[in-house]
Amino acid sequence: MTPEVLRSATNGPRALLTCRGVSSGYQNKPVLHEISFVVDEPAVYVVLGPNGAGKTTLFRTIAGILRPTAGEVLLDGVPIDRQSSRDQLHYLSHLDGMPDGLTVRESLDFYARVERASPADVERVLDQLEIGEFSDTFISRLSSGQRKRVSIARVFLRERGIYLLDEPTANLDPKVAREIRTLILELSKERVVLYSSHNLFEAREIGRYVIALKSGALALFDKMENVRAAHLVIGVRTLEPTDALAGWERRGDYYLRELQSPDQVPGLIRDLESKGARLREVREMENPLEDLFT
Amino acid sequence: MAAASELPTLLGITVRRTLVVGRVSVIVGCIMVTFYSAAFGLEGPLFTSIGTLVLPIFAVSGGIGGALVFANDRTKGVLEYLVAYGLSARRILFNVLIAGLVQATIVLGVGTVAGVSSYLLSGYALTPQLPEALLTYTFPMSYLTVCMMTTVGVFWTSLSSPRAGMNSPVGVLPLIGVAPTSAALVLALSLRTYTSQVLLGTELAIAVIVLLLITRTSQLMPTERLLSTA
Repeated sequence: MTPEVLRSATNGPRALLTCRGVSSGYQNKPVLHEISFVVDEPAVYVVLGPNGAGKTTLFRTIAGILRPTAGEVLLDGVPIDRQSSRDQLHYLSHLDGMPDGLTVRESLDFYARVERASPADVERVLDQLEIGEFSDTFISRLSSGQRKRVSIARVFLRERGIYLLDEPTANLDPKVAREIRTLILELSKERVVLYSSHNLFEAREIGRYVIALKSGALALFDKMENVRAAHLVIGVRTLEPTDALAGWERRGDYYLRELQSPDQVPGLIRDLESKGARLREVREMENPLEDLFT
Repeated sequence: MAAASELPTLLGITVRRTLVVGRVSVIVGCIMVTFYSAAFGLEGPLFTSIGTLVLPIFAVSGGIGGALVFANDRTKGVLEYLVAYGLSARRILFNVLIAGLVQATIVLGVGTVAGVSSYLLSGYALTPQLPEALLTYTFPMSYLTVCMMTTVGVFWTSLSSPRAGMNSPVGVLPLIGVAPTSAALVLALSLRTYTSQVLLGTELAIAVIVLLLITRTSQLMPTERLLSTA
């Protein structure tokens, strides 16, 4: 699928972010191998891959922390190692990156100084991320989830063109994670967001594009809607037991049926209802993104 | 577009954070040096001859904070963040170096005030040898020792996998900091001649080591060594 959808890094339209034949890694340990893609429209690009696939290395290379051993990373055509390019992106690592010895407010002041944001911006994100209540608490006394929220808050101190968010919702409770996703979706209407996650359901919910890595190579770059599971398995729950599901495989409360295409789902529902089944829920049981991990 | 020169140095906030993170070692250092200097000050000439030679050892306890902040920042991903925004490895090194020197100054200042006060209150007249010893040995040796300790600590930390405790580079640093002063002291006391030349030679040797290390920052501490492996 990749060659068809991978837009040319040389002949495509003016790009926001271009990775052209990027190889990168650590001393004596190459991780990424000739990664090429072009990101040219605001959206959430979910970066997926098994552990060790190179997601964090890709983020670090785009952020200019790691220098590519081959190829180049360009922002609006300008190499990433220029300060003007770095000023266009926000980078949130998978670590909290919270400095010791400071309170929440002082930490955000610290970040605001780096970002050249104003004290008013600090107040705004304290309010926006609902972390004002512990603004005077030392970072070391926060829970990991609270630290993550403060860490994410700094991303919203100042607007930039590209956001690199490495597992931003890890360690967050579902409510806060959903709020963060809402903020990021809002952000992605006008900005490019590269977003890595191990939560495939979250990835499907938030991503418009998928960038999948496998063993340091680009395995897939495509729109989320084009990612299809090799097997489409539908699960059905009914309000009461019914003979309409006789012969179906059972998994917990669900009865399973494998289909060839999503187009078959409406017909399947009509068929079950015509046999008297009172449906409570119909859902896709397999996440097509799981195939990217095999 | 912002130019590279517009990047904040973060020096002030690094110094402040170091004072918070390393406050225990500063407090302990101040208490120890106060007792030590006051006791030696009571002995008058002994403070000038021996006391001033030992004072740099106490500065080490104050100066450890810079390397401590560096190690913490690396483990927690703060350095990764700063590098992403364009702060250079050398700038980061300078910040923790100066922060360590500020802390060492506090301990050293307390020790000097305690020693000189005790010396004068004991009725001894101020001789030119005392300020001379402080200005030519105690202060420069203390600052050079802290610079060496911090630089070695930063490079060693960046080359090591993150770990805490006495087994970590920061845990071993006080021993590295104390070593030059101890060596100079032993050498000066055992030779008993050319003492000032021995002391000056030690200072010069440390200064050369520190300068060599600092000029090799980009080779000894490439950006990727600032990343946490966690």
